Order: sequence, then C-alpha cells, then structure tokens
Amino acid sequence: MAGELTFELPIERGKVREFALAVGEDNPVFFDPDEARRQGLPDVVAPPTFTVTQIWQVTREEREARLGANLDYARVLHGEQEFHIRRLPVAGEVLRGVMRIARDFTKQGRRGGRMRFVTYESVFTDAGGDEVVRAHYTLIETARDPGSGP
Amino acid sequence: MSLPHGVDLDGVAVGAELGEVVFGPVTRADIVRYAGASGDFNPIHIDEGYARATGAPTVFAMGMLPAGYLAHAVSDWFGGPHRLRRFKVRFSARVWPGDELVCSGRVGDVRPGGVVAVALEARRRGDGPPGAGVPAEEVALVGEADVELPARGEGA
Repeated sequence: MAGELTFELPIERGKVREFALAVGEDNPVFFDPDEARRQGLPDVVAPPTFTVTQIWQVTREEREARLGANLDYARVLHGEQEFHIRRLPVAGEVLRGVMRIARDFTKQGRRGGRMRFVTYESVFTDAGGDEVVRAHYTLIETARDPGSGP
Repeated sequence: MSLPHGVDLDGVAVGAELGEVVFGPVTRADIVRYAGASGDFNPIHIDEGYARATGAPTVFAMGMLPAGYLAHAVSDWFGGPHRLRRFKVRFSARVWPGDELVCSGRVGDVRPGGVVAVALEARRRGDGPPGAGVPAEEVALVGEADVELPARGEGA
C-alpha cells in the first residue's frame, strides 16, 4: 500500500562535522561557525549529500514496513542518487522529511531477466514550510547474479 | 583547470575541463567511518565474511562515499558548496579498498539566470582485490551538477 512516511532530520554541528570529515571535506563552512558567519551564513552548513543521514531517522526496515516496496535486498543495488538543493541545511534547524515512492517500474536487463527500479523521494522542508532539499534514491533489484554491479 | 575562489560567470566557458581532483586511496577505515557518519551499515561494505558470502571478492565502498568526494570536488571547482543546486550520480562500478578516485568535470552549458550545467565523472584507479580481475582504471560514477554562479564581478 503506497503511502508517505514523515520524520524529522535535526541538523547538528557535531553530526555535520562527522559527515563532512567522512567525505574528505576541509571547507571551514562545515566546521567553523565563525567562518560560516563571516561568509554570510547563519551557522555551519551541511554538505550537499548530507540528507542521506536520514537513515538514522528512518531505518530500511521501517521504510519497507511503511512504504512497502517489497524489495529482495539480497539482489538490490544502489543505482542512482540525485539531490535538488534550494539551500544547504544549517546547523541548529530541524528539517521535516516526507518520504514516498516516486517511481517503480521494471525493464528488461541487458543480460536477460527483468530489473526493477524503485525511486524513493524525500522532500525536506524547514520551519517555515519552504523546501530545502529534495532527494531521489534509486534502487535496482537485479534478476540474478547478485555478485555483480556496484 | 581549478577555478579560483570567487569565480563568477565570466570565469566559466562552455567546454572548459575541470579537475582532476584525486581522493584516496580509499581505506577500509574510510568505509567504516562513512558507515558511521551516514548510518549505512549494510554489512556488504564492512563485513569481509558477509561480502564474500554474496560472491564479492571483498568489501567495497558504498556508492555515496565516492559520490560525497565528487560533490566535494564540484564545491571546490566553483567556489563553495552553497552554489550547488542539483547533483546527480549513477553508479557503474564498485570502488574497492586501495582505490583512488579521480574526479573530473566539463562545463556543458551556461543557462540564463547564471546556472552552469556540468558533466561529471569519477574513475576508480587501483589494483582491486587480488585475483578479482578488475580493471586498473574504470568509470565508477557518472554524474551531472547544476551550479548557480553570480554575475560578472559579483563572485564572493
């Protein structure tokens, strides 16, 4: 049964620092509130791909239970990821996330068998209700040979 | 070319090559660190026995780790992360422990309103797992970015 899943994503300085270090960032706008303010930002900002940390708020199991894609994760690969960014999240704010299945289709694979593509969309809005980031997370359920692909 | 901090629309030409920016070599510790930071604890990326049981020669990076490096490269090319309006990646090959990630880009279009469309590529380069027969270098991610730049002389 298709539906929506709503959750909160708090933007915390420590979490932003941890994530920024994990993707090799060295830009002070992720680490130093004074430098961020000097550049006209209210506080440190989160890196462009930061909203992937939503898995800390919504586990795969909860996502499956609530949105019901019924994927066989033994055959699932991460195929694509896209972010539409109005502005970067700012430390101190709490974003509201709404997740749903945006696309779900199958097509013939190049090496035979049918591949299924499921795209989850997460829309993150701020306290004023304005969109901040929209993320598209596309999983591919392969027909067979789970040892291949990324 | 690496664009200077403070780049504006005058500093960007269609067809300009960006890069290369090299990250890594990616270590197992980098993968574990990203697992903790992101919350992606899929054992195929961090548990050697589990990865082998699926048929993989060893663990490999979750795609969002090299994707994060690639977004970092785009931020550096264009004077900061706040200019990125859209970032899309497609994963085409696994990134193995010991791999370097070579990020490059090309300016594809400059649209009205100051939005620059950029084609992105990240190649993995390394020996790969012993005996796995992976190429010494191959495209691991293909991507696109839209970057919003200020008009002439307004680069900050």
